[in-house]
Amino acid sequence: MEIFILAFFALGYLVLAGADIGVGMALPYLGRTPGERREAIAAIAPFFLGNEVWLVVTAGVLAGLFPELEGELLSGNYPLIVALLLSWVVRDTGLWLRGRLDGRLWQGWWDGAIVAGSWGLALSLGGLLGHVLLGMTGPLALLPVAALAALFGTHGLAFAALRLRGELRRRAGVLSGGAGEGRTYALTAAALMVVGVLAGLRLPLEPGTSGAVLGPAVLAMMPLMVAAQAWVWWTFRHRVTGPSYL
Amino acid sequence: MDTVDLARLQFALTAGAHFLFVALTLGLVTLVAVIQTRATISRSPVHVGMTRFWGQLYIINYAMGIVTGLVMEFQLGMAWSGLAEFAGNVFGSALALETMVAFFIESTFLGLWIFGWDKLNRWAHLALIWIVALTAYASAFWILVANGFLQNPVGYRSDGHTLHITDFGAMVANPAAMVALGHVLGGAMMVGGFFMAGVSAYHLLRRTPEQDFFRKSLRIGAGVALPATMVTAAFGGVGFATLQPGKIAAWTGDADRAAAVQAEMTALHGPGDYLPPVEWVQAGALTMLILFGIMFFLSGLNFVLMLIRPVVHGFRAWHVVLIAAIPLPFGAMIGGWVFREVGRQPWAVYGLLTTEDAMSPVGDGVMRFSLIAFTAVFAALTVINSWLLARTARRGPAAVGLGARPAEKPEPVPAF
Repeated sequence: MEIFILAFFALGYLVLAGADIGVGMALPYLGRTPGERREAIAAIAPFFLGNEVWLVVTAGVLAGLFPELEGELLSGNYPLIVALLLSWVVRDTGLWLRGRLDGRLWQGWWDGAIVAGSWGLALSLGGLLGHVLLGMTGPLALLPVAALAALFGTHGLAFAALRLRGELRRRAGVLSGGAGEGRTYALTAAALMVVGVLAGLRLPLEPGTSGAVLGPAVLAMMPLMVAAQAWVWWTFRHRVTGPSYL
Repeated sequence: MDTVDLARLQFALTAGAHFLFVALTLGLVTLVAVIQTRATISRSPVHVGMTRFWGQLYIINYAMGIVTGLVMEFQLGMAWSGLAEFAGNVFGSALALETMVAFFIESTFLGLWIFGWDKLNRWAHLALIWIVALTAYASAFWILVANGFLQNPVGYRSDGHTLHITDFGAMVANPAAMVALGHVLGGAMMVGGFFMAGVSAYHLLRRTPEQDFFRKSLRIGAGVALPATMVTAAFGGVGFATLQPGKIAAWTGDADRAAAVQAEMTALHGPGDYLPPVEWVQAGALTMLILFGIMFFLSGLNFVLMLIRPVVHGFRAWHVVLIAAIPLPFGAMIGGWVFREVGRQPWAVYGLLTTEDAMSPVGDGVMRFSLIAFTAVFAALTVINSWLLARTARRGPAAVGLGARPAEKPEPVPAF
């Protein structure tokens, strides 16, 4: 039960928030003008807040159900987690602040923060997954990092192709060829889940002792949490028609 | 400084920044929910405008709360893995429930509230802000259950190496948690009330065209601040009865009490220094109490003055006082927090695990680097966000982006 709960939230994060990370990485390619970039951001705007919390809950599940693993994983990969958090903060700040003022310099600066933060997130998550999965060190460890960053980027483009319109949609579809937008997204999502599952299998998944109390409460909460998210997906199921609040 | 001091400083700076922004978040979201309820029932344009203006300030502030909150949550595992391994089976459950019951639902519905403006049924939209407000309270509840356990561990058994839950209900009903919850929520409403009254006073002083708008806002802010002050004082007073002996000894500066605590702890845990730093504890408590005294007097005065309409519009000296009072509750919050957390030292889990033993086996250089990096980023963000908050507050309701209707709106096409 504990492992199912952990996997549910960790994989949910990779698939859902992975797309936000990828769109942020591809922002300079998707949007060539400030207006286009704002529209590209609108593809993820209503979702990113509800997507990133899947990782918050993953950390919460680690803290409550796998306290020993939490300490090992987070303190054992200290520099990578610092990089992950700093990138996350920079990316989020960029998203929140970009649209609050009109100046070109202001928006350009925060666009840069979104791109840098998204790349930082992809690389540090890649480093973390690669380290857990392959245990590689040295320059060779950069290979899985690059591969995972490429996967996040492709996943983001696939999501952007589903959400954007016109020229932006065409740019986002560049890698899918004739495969179809939905199918490409399904493929990149499946690839991310496979990586997540494989990394999970390599972890010492020894639950703590609070599962008997905490587990049932969490299982009861899960349908509610998914329903809340489904409301967001349903409300924003249409293609982007213009800039959003961000 | 040795590594454990660096780790403590890093946690304190993150938690302190988080606490300040979150206090305003908790206070403002309640007021926004109340105002939006009024706007939804009456459809009055002034209340719709108030919802958007105060909602915009709430969101700018929320963004800072969330980014500092992320770093804080991960830091427990990163820098304090000794605490996670020792007590994670017990207090980790409160953290886990906080992320699910509160953080997850709050963020999901806040996104829906922001981006669903004019897309959703207005009653559904109103329900969203109330859920966001209630989950924000739930967040404070579970975090204080976790903190209460560190202050006053209950509902556990020890096997010598780690703790295990025996009585979940006792952990949740811990007086060290529930009294603090009432105190902190009252404090958050003071922060929100003083903020709303102060910003409104600025616009009344400047004779902004929206006089009606800011008179109503000032009355809400000042009207909430007085009862909030009383609630905060009541819970704070009860809280003094739940203090650890070491904290009381440091606060009163009583040498006999301190010696008794030291002797008792030495008998239990072997030789060591079991007293918190007296200067920090006293400075924290005094800051809190002095600022509180000023605010207690001010909120009574404000409550009376706000009832007289010509005074609300024209008493310019009072407007200046209200603006100057905005930072006071923030200062009191930080003072009270220093008192509570420094006063618990040298314990991470009171009487069970010292702060030193709670730390992860992380090197000095790495810790120094992360401390500098987080501090630099958070300092820059705090400056930028406070500036943006002040700028948005100054520019008034006409320039608000939240809930603004887009210029052109073509027919949407389904994406999936």
